[in-house]
Amino acid sequence: MAEVIHKRVKPLQVNPFKLSQPMGATLAFMGVDNCMPLMHGAQGCTSLTKVFFTRHFCEPIAIQTTAVTDALAVLDGGDYSIVESVKNICKKVTPSLIGLHTTGLPETKGDDIAGVAKKVDFPLVYVNTPDYEGGFESGWALTCKAMIEQLVAPATRVNDNKLVLLPHVSLQPIEVEKIKDFIESFGFNVLALPDLSSSLDGHLGEKQAALSSGGIAVEEIKALGDAGLVISVGDSMQASAGALQKKNPLMRHQHFSHLQGLEATDALAELLLAETGFSGPPLMLARWRQRLQDAMLDSHFSLGQTRFLVVAEPDQIAAICQALYDVGGKVTVAISSVDSPQLEKIRAKKVLVGDLEDAEQLAADYDLIIGNFHCEALAHRLHKGLVLRGFPNWEQVGNPLKNDLLYEGGAYFLFECANAATLMRAHLAAS
Amino acid sequence: MSQKPKIKDLLNESACAHNKTKKVACNAPTPGATTGGCAFEGAQISLFPYADAAHLVHGPMTCIGSSWETRATQTDWPGRDLTQMGFTTDINLNDVVFSGEEKLRDAIDYIMANYAPQAVFVYSTCVTAMIGDDLDLICKQAAEKHGVPMVPVHAPGFVGSKNLGSRLGGEAALRHLIGTREPETTTPFDINLIGEYNVTGDMWQYAHLLDELGIRVLATLSGNGRIADIRCAHRAKLNVIVCAKSLISLTRKMQEQYGILSISLSFYGKRDTSNGLLAIATALGDADLLKRTKQLIVREEALLDEKLKPYRRVFAGKKAVLNTGGNKTWSIAAALQDLGIEVVATAVKKATEDDREKARQVLGEDGVLMMNPGAEQARLIDERGAHLLLAGGRSLYTAIKKGIAFADVNQEKKKSYGGYSGLLNLAEDLKNSLENPVFKLVARRAPWQK
Repeated sequence: MAEVIHKRVKPLQVNPFKLSQPMGATLAFMGVDNCMPLMHGAQGCTSLTKVFFTRHFCEPIAIQTTAVTDALAVLDGGDYSIVESVKNICKKVTPSLIGLHTTGLPETKGDDIAGVAKKVDFPLVYVNTPDYEGGFESGWALTCKAMIEQLVAPATRVNDNKLVLLPHVSLQPIEVEKIKDFIESFGFNVLALPDLSSSLDGHLGEKQAALSSGGIAVEEIKALGDAGLVISVGDSMQASAGALQKKNPLMRHQHFSHLQGLEATDALAELLLAETGFSGPPLMLARWRQRLQDAMLDSHFSLGQTRFLVVAEPDQIAAICQALYDVGGKVTVAISSVDSPQLEKIRAKKVLVGDLEDAEQLAADYDLIIGNFHCEALAHRLHKGLVLRGFPNWEQVGNPLKNDLLYEGGAYFLFECANAATLMRAHLAAS
Repeated sequence: MSQKPKIKDLLNESACAHNKTKKVACNAPTPGATTGGCAFEGAQISLFPYADAAHLVHGPMTCIGSSWETRATQTDWPGRDLTQMGFTTDINLNDVVFSGEEKLRDAIDYIMANYAPQAVFVYSTCVTAMIGDDLDLICKQAAEKHGVPMVPVHAPGFVGSKNLGSRLGGEAALRHLIGTREPETTTPFDINLIGEYNVTGDMWQYAHLLDELGIRVLATLSGNGRIADIRCAHRAKLNVIVCAKSLISLTRKMQEQYGILSISLSFYGKRDTSNGLLAIATALGDADLLKRTKQLIVREEALLDEKLKPYRRVFAGKKAVLNTGGNKTWSIAAALQDLGIEVVATAVKKATEDDREKARQVLGEDGVLMMNPGAEQARLIDERGAHLLLAGGRSLYTAIKKGIAFADVNQEKKKSYGGYSGLLNLAEDLKNSLENPVFKLVARRAPWQK
């Protein structure tokens, strides 16, 4: 299908859009109510991450650092800084959970965080997320898996009405909410892990939160074991689903590589119909399906003559490329932040693991860019169209409410891309 | 002998007034109760604005993946602005185990072949410092191979705070750049601007005034800077420290090595801009220059006062809380007072002892100096009935939840508030914020709430 280049060939990254594992872990912990993510490393990793998410979500971000300094960096096994951090955090706030995750520094010196975690007398989930391995997507996925392994109580019975949703890292808060709504409209009780839909959706809370407010409760996570069905979205989440099934072998699992476009959404609806025995979906879903079909026809003129560059995390690339492919959009280049088996399945002419310098060098191959805020400078310099997606997007407001999924979001996504492509052609014709 | 700067020496800065009384680093971090950046970030800040140099970060992804293209530092360098690019070796597990030196060498070669910068700054980070990659050797060999300066910057995050990192950045420039080239000409009024990063073009708010007075900016560290210029910086008559004291070690050493005097000032607000210009003229010690400077100040202040008139009515009786760091703790406070706004509190947590004293002078007896602004600012807004919060972006939400006006005065700000004309920008932004009906409207109760 596509030409896939898994390995980077350069000795460096130039204009990277790759993000680190610890950052993905931080974000996952933010999907837990009343949680304090605690990043184990020097203070800069945390500071940069805090600023990054604050600007992206336009929300206050609670996060702390173990602030490892040089003497400790060499001598200590992490015990002091972690234990001390928990103590200092609890002086000010009372989290329901502390989410301990590592950076490259303690991993290089070989801190045994599992050992330290045992000494800490406080609800805590630990996860190894060195930033010299993996990336944003894997950091999120590892954290989700760690929460399941360390918190969920084993169960021997299932509640068929209870459903666990495991969303991948690139789903914005409203998208998680829309998937939950979709499934709930069939009568299920849905719990998402992690759940950004209520913690980082941009709501105006009563007070300035020193901890995450909203998200799945720790008690709810502990009790996930009796869910009848788990639905994972994004290939990065398969391992988490596996971990959950280990807690209860009776639990069934359905996987979706993504939920973007008509076919994927139909597949979800089909599953839910089969599960419930309903003869048809709720009226609103049927209405939105018709609108998406119409949107596909309305937008295919513009999209069918457009060549795309998509830069994102692997699971998001797979989703976007499928949605564009369905209406004749030609993704000529897809650039992934990291390597992933998912790349083989991506609907694109050329798929590579790379950076925005690669994108620049392939500029002749595409007209419109779908990617993060760093693509703005690229689009400007190369006179390309632009649709902003992914992390970070610092220049626009409203990121938590951007919805590309299922029938409804799918329609809006196609319109936005088609309009951006048309506008770009108008600009080119005028210049 | 090791080329690495001695951290202990930098922490024990003799030019800092308070160094006799302190045994530990300024702003030593507390695990679990710390905000603010690391040494790597500080080094970046002090060197990044050289747009004609490549800034190569030798480390894993967190260090630069989340932080390139974040600073609105401006330049008129006609080539590609390398400040707005991210270069990193993005080291992986293999490099951690077997060393990242070969990758670093290749990365420098790649940058030289494709971007031809005037210099390459090579930043060590926590992981590459721990695995012991020899930056000094690689930089030395690369400099010989490519014929341009290769500057190792030894500021891995774990050595300390952002402030210390800025010092280490200054140290790198001193060791590897300053004094390595001679200027084509010199003038009696050559100065260096130290610690001015030209964020949102702050420097350009007053550079034209220096120009008019015949004062030449020989080099900057590092706003709108050029590598060729900073290499000549040792021939300046005066070092002007524009921002926080983090580069005080650098200026002290330049005084010791090259006999260059230094002064510290601010270009925020009317009074400070005027005082700053006067201080430069005084330090350069030329009677005619001093006379011309005074004339220019009279002219500029009159122009500004005229333009500020319509704002004074809006600001009458208004109170502000200020949460920022360094010399901004008092310089922006003074600027607000210039606008007729009462400053009820300012944060001094991230300020030096000198800056704290200065803040006390500016705010007077009634003003609160916040040592723990994160916790204090919300309470003070209530207690003092403040109408405005000026801070960095992370405090925006304190203002929003309190329903008061906010202005970003830190690194993510969008507009320049420097110099005489910057004060007008600040006045306009604060006026727009104060008069915005949104705060009342969002506080409105829902029809279903009693």
